[in-house]
Amino acid sequence: MRPSHHWLLALLFAAALLAACGQQPAAPPTTAPAAEQPTAAPATAAPSPAAPVATPAATTSAPGEYVFGMVLVGPINDGGWNQAHFEGARYVETKVPGTRLIYIDKVNPADRPNVQVEQAIEELISQGAKFIITNSAEFADGTNIAAEAHPDVYFLHASGDAVLRGVAPPNVTNLMGRMEYGKMMAGCAAALQSEAGKIAYLGPLIDPETRRLVNSTYLGAKYCWETYRGKPADSLAFKVTWIGFWFNIPGVTLDPTRVATDFINEGYDVIISGIDTTEGIVEANKASQAGKTVWAAPYDYREACAQGEAVCLGVPFFNWGPRYAEIIADARAGKFTPQWEWIGPDWSDINNPETSMIGFVKGPALTAENAATLDEFIGKLADGSLNLFTGPLNYQDGTVFVPAGQVADDKTIWYTEQLLEGIEGQSAP
Amino acid sequence: MQSTEINRPREPQQQPAMHQWFETLRLPLLTLTGALALTSLALLSTGVSPLQAYRILLFGAFSSPGRSSDMIMLAAPLLLCATGLILTFRTGLYNLGVEGQLALGAVAAMLPLRLLPDLPAPLLWTLCFACAATGGALWALLAAGLRLYAGVSEIFAGLGLNFLASGLALYLVLGPWRRSGSASMSGTELLPRDLWLPTINTLRLAPLAPIIAIAALAIVWWVVRRTRWGLELRAVGLNPGAADRLGVPAHRRIAQAMAACGFLAGMAGAIQILGVFHQLIPNISSGVGLLGLLVALLVRADPRWVLPVSVVFASFTVGSVQLPLALGVDSSIAGVLQGALVLFALLARGLLARPG
Amino acid sequence: MQVSVHNLSKSFGSVRANDRLTLRFEAGKIHGVLGENGAGKSTLMKLVAGFLRPDEGVIRFDGRDAALRGPGDALRAGVGMIHQDPLDLPAFTALENLLCATPRSAIASWAEGRRLLVELAGRLGFTVEPEMPVARLSIGQRQQLEIIRLLARGARVLILDEPTTGITAEQTRALFAALRQLAAAGNTVLFVSHKLEEVAALCDTVCVLRAGRLVGEQMGMPVPQAVLLGLMFDTAVAAVRGAEAPPAGDGGTLEPPVTRPVAGEVVWRLEGVTAREGAVTLRNLNLEVPAGRVLGLAGLDGSGQQLLLRLLAGHARPDTGRVLVGSTDLTGAGSRAYRAAGIEYLPADRLAEGVIGALSLSDHFALQQTGRLVDRRQAERAAREAIAAYGIKATPVTPINALSGGNQQRAMLALVPPRCRGLACEQPTRGLDVASARTIWHSLLARRADGCAIVFASADLDELIEYSDEVLVFFAGQISPPLPRAQLSVARLGELIGGVGFAEGGTT
Repeated sequence: MRPSHHWLLALLFAAALLAACGQQPAAPPTTAPAAEQPTAAPATAAPSPAAPVATPAATTSAPGEYVFGMVLVGPINDGGWNQAHFEGARYVETKVPGTRLIYIDKVNPADRPNVQVEQAIEELISQGAKFIITNSAEFADGTNIAAEAHPDVYFLHASGDAVLRGVAPPNVTNLMGRMEYGKMMAGCAAALQSEAGKIAYLGPLIDPETRRLVNSTYLGAKYCWETYRGKPADSLAFKVTWIGFWFNIPGVTLDPTRVATDFINEGYDVIISGIDTTEGIVEANKASQAGKTVWAAPYDYREACAQGEAVCLGVPFFNWGPRYAEIIADARAGKFTPQWEWIGPDWSDINNPETSMIGFVKGPALTAENAATLDEFIGKLADGSLNLFTGPLNYQDGTVFVPAGQVADDKTIWYTEQLLEGIEGQSAP
Repeated sequence: MQSTEINRPREPQQQPAMHQWFETLRLPLLTLTGALALTSLALLSTGVSPLQAYRILLFGAFSSPGRSSDMIMLAAPLLLCATGLILTFRTGLYNLGVEGQLALGAVAAMLPLRLLPDLPAPLLWTLCFACAATGGALWALLAAGLRLYAGVSEIFAGLGLNFLASGLALYLVLGPWRRSGSASMSGTELLPRDLWLPTINTLRLAPLAPIIAIAALAIVWWVVRRTRWGLELRAVGLNPGAADRLGVPAHRRIAQAMAACGFLAGMAGAIQILGVFHQLIPNISSGVGLLGLLVALLVRADPRWVLPVSVVFASFTVGSVQLPLALGVDSSIAGVLQGALVLFALLARGLLARPG
Repeated sequence: MQVSVHNLSKSFGSVRANDRLTLRFEAGKIHGVLGENGAGKSTLMKLVAGFLRPDEGVIRFDGRDAALRGPGDALRAGVGMIHQDPLDLPAFTALENLLCATPRSAIASWAEGRRLLVELAGRLGFTVEPEMPVARLSIGQRQQLEIIRLLARGARVLILDEPTTGITAEQTRALFAALRQLAAAGNTVLFVSHKLEEVAALCDTVCVLRAGRLVGEQMGMPVPQAVLLGLMFDTAVAAVRGAEAPPAGDGGTLEPPVTRPVAGEVVWRLEGVTAREGAVTLRNLNLEVPAGRVLGLAGLDGSGQQLLLRLLAGHARPDTGRVLVGSTDLTGAGSRAYRAAGIEYLPADRLAEGVIGALSLSDHFALQQTGRLVDRRQAERAAREAIAAYGIKATPVTPINALSGGNQQRAMLALVPPRCRGLACEQPTRGLDVASARTIWHSLLARRADGCAIVFASADLDELIEYSDEVLVFFAGQISPPLPRAQLSVARLGELIGGVGFAEGGTT
């Protein structure tokens, strides 16, 4: 062999090693936002927290303890989708005594190339989990496969619709929040505040869920643009750019940081995020500090505005905890009922952490006047006097989405086929 | 020209048995010590007991039938890649393009599945493997061509072609082969269940995969040990100029070794599609090719050790899935251990090869 | 500055490159150091310049012991060496090279560097300019830059190792003028060469090395060429031996008499071949080598012998003309076709090109088999037979690189298939002891007896005279007509190798 190449190879491997080490700090479980050991039993139920992990293969649940597992697509501290789920699961631990969370995060082909959902689920089950939550659309098939293999374990696939489509095994239930409302509020806030009348949407991948969320955002923005700003709909630019996945995978997806800066350079003055992570608000904040007038609306996680208070118009967020707690308590009591649930806000108080699945926290950057207007808009949504999914609504290619005078039903909205007329961006792949 | 002198062979290895025993063992000992020291350091810095971590890494994959199945389904493509790399390493080639050859094999395996989905499954699988092997071999020949006719080192040709192959997979997943109504990096539509390689009960173990891999290893083993072609590859690898002078068509052997490696890597790609992921995903190789390079480097392309080391490396990777759950350590420590093993093997070899 | 060495020795493995050398180079003079390739000139220079450390002996600068730990030490003491291949950074300009290779203490600023470069170049008549990228400089200009760099760093002793290889006549003249000027200014110049005319034209004194020993000490020029050649090639000794042995070479040779086959078919025929490789060009070469002929190629290393051997074996291709093997035109064919036609090439560097070090003799024979499977038993048998027939000290499974040089050479010969019609050997006995060399020739002549034509290049004049039927002498790409053995003596051969009798522009 050519000896000179040994050094080159050694260098390559050293680089690979460094890369492997370098991945760690990105989301080490130990720096989880809750600052807890990820798998340690909660303080209440752990007389010797280190002991149970000594024999990994054995079932480690203490008598009477109910272990539930969570498989997350991204890191638990992403400041978005995954963090919202993780905190929801932590909420369950505090609200349902005797439950304990174990989880595996970053289950995606970039972070764990050789781990499939089924494998991750089986690890959790072998650690004693009796209930499994999977949190990404990609996990639909794997969740069902694992559920068939483990009929004695209950599964919750968040954001899925296998039950609705009738393809789910009997031990699988689906849960999703009606983020459409949250997105409408974000869209409205954007339209109220935008000076340029140019709103950008940082989209993840294209599927029915992401399409209906973009549409909702647009409908909220358009309504508030016309109603409160008194401007014609066609003077509002609304553009979506899809990065290709829920979060950045270098070399595979578009880089959301780049996409966000491109938006800003193109003159869009509000960036609404649809991805799991916070690049949108982070970049807007940087641009704002550099003297540009830009705002952002992050997504998913209640505290997401913290990434850029000065530019945050507000964040629509999921509050998974309450419903998780109910479903897990039921399952533990033997009252598991598979269903397809799509739960909206508690309109009496959308930000009530104990009751509302969907909330909207107004950001510091939203002016008081706009905040008041937004409250008025939310009021209309709450009392049912305003349903933005009312026809006539057309898809991008001109086909009818909702005929004039009709109101779209849940299935029509859930399976949205295209973006709406007036939105710039790729609609169907 | 005294006949006494003529017939006395030069035998440098006549040493006491004890010494010899140490000679053969000091390389693996040095390697293991170094790698464990480095990995332990990494573990200790995160406050984790290295012993517990090693126990999980080593035996975690054997602690349940499910995990063992996962280990075998990872070891099978890994073994195929490492087996192919035996040939290229012997020929003195660093076929870093094995990742891309695997990915292209996977893409090629999708062709019959998409074009002729109605064929009987066994026929379709045969077609898949044939296409995958051909695709991998052609991709490897491309690297060989760049090396032979354009003077591009196969290392860089391979790296470039890896990017191209994963780019192609990405394009297909996001473009022409996307799931209906969506565009996601998460992969193409799952194959119908009856097209998955048959598994044992509910385990994810498809016996065909390890059978193919072990058969490939057996054939390659026989080829390098018994055939003139195998000997010629080694001659080319050791000294292409002299081999050429001795009548070995060095260029042709280089191309053939690359093609054979690509052939096997392509088969690994078919296993990833039919037996592991059941769909095309952008990262279809899932690093198996690079892991195979580590295996081949560690065993110095010696077919005797390819199977055990492949199994051990696969166990590390599968066992490491439990680490975050059991100890709160990131799974990437498995990669650190694998890389450190190879790094220290290279270092130890370099040190021991130094005279004096 | 005066440079002297005392009892200086340096060995590489078993080879004594410098053997107890004691020499003194006075300041203000140009000293030639002559010797054949491998005589130990470069080693001596590298020792003085700190690139190598002596095994024993001392180096003194102006009478003071210098313990050199590296070239930096030597340069600080004022000794700088210009290599055959200038060590510079091609991507940089001349000025950048000068600056980055010189400490700030020597050249304080960019502007000063430029001024220095321009001034020194002007004074020495050099054509190198500050802004020229080094990649576009000729070898001569890079040499000029290197000289300027060394002078800028305060060198008072300049060592030049074969400086005229690859530079034009004009540049050579400029270089010599500059060196004379530097010597006149009190600097010491050590000029290493194997070209007699250059030494004669340039140097004030000359010393001659042979096989690591000093054989001619500090002779003031001019010294007759014949004397120098005699020292370089040890013709005095050989001449004595030659006198004892009749030139026809029957009774006195060390080999058993060999019945020479009747000159039969022609093995090689070159028609008007012109070829170039590196700095050597062969022009309009016509040559016939009949079966059973031994043709020796004499000349200093790199005079064109290697190229001819490579042409004969298909490792090099002619630019024009034809190469025929037997009656087949193999012009432009690859070495494989030559091999199929029965031509074997035995390179000088056995382990680099000849055999595969990590493989055993038995493996080598297995490679020669024709079946798809390796027949281990047959290969081992063949190896055993070869070991017996060629007296190789090895077992069939010993790796070749564990053998001594002589045994490697024998192994290489043993691997030549029996149907061989022509052997092109480069230095077949280089580095071998007398007994091994004899064995090799025994085998070679046995091949010749079977009708094989042998063309070999050698630096050993005795060997050339002893075994060749005819000798071709090469001088800088020019070739003498075939000289029959009867007309040869070591002295005559030495003259020819040194270029005596070669016209400036063509062959005699």
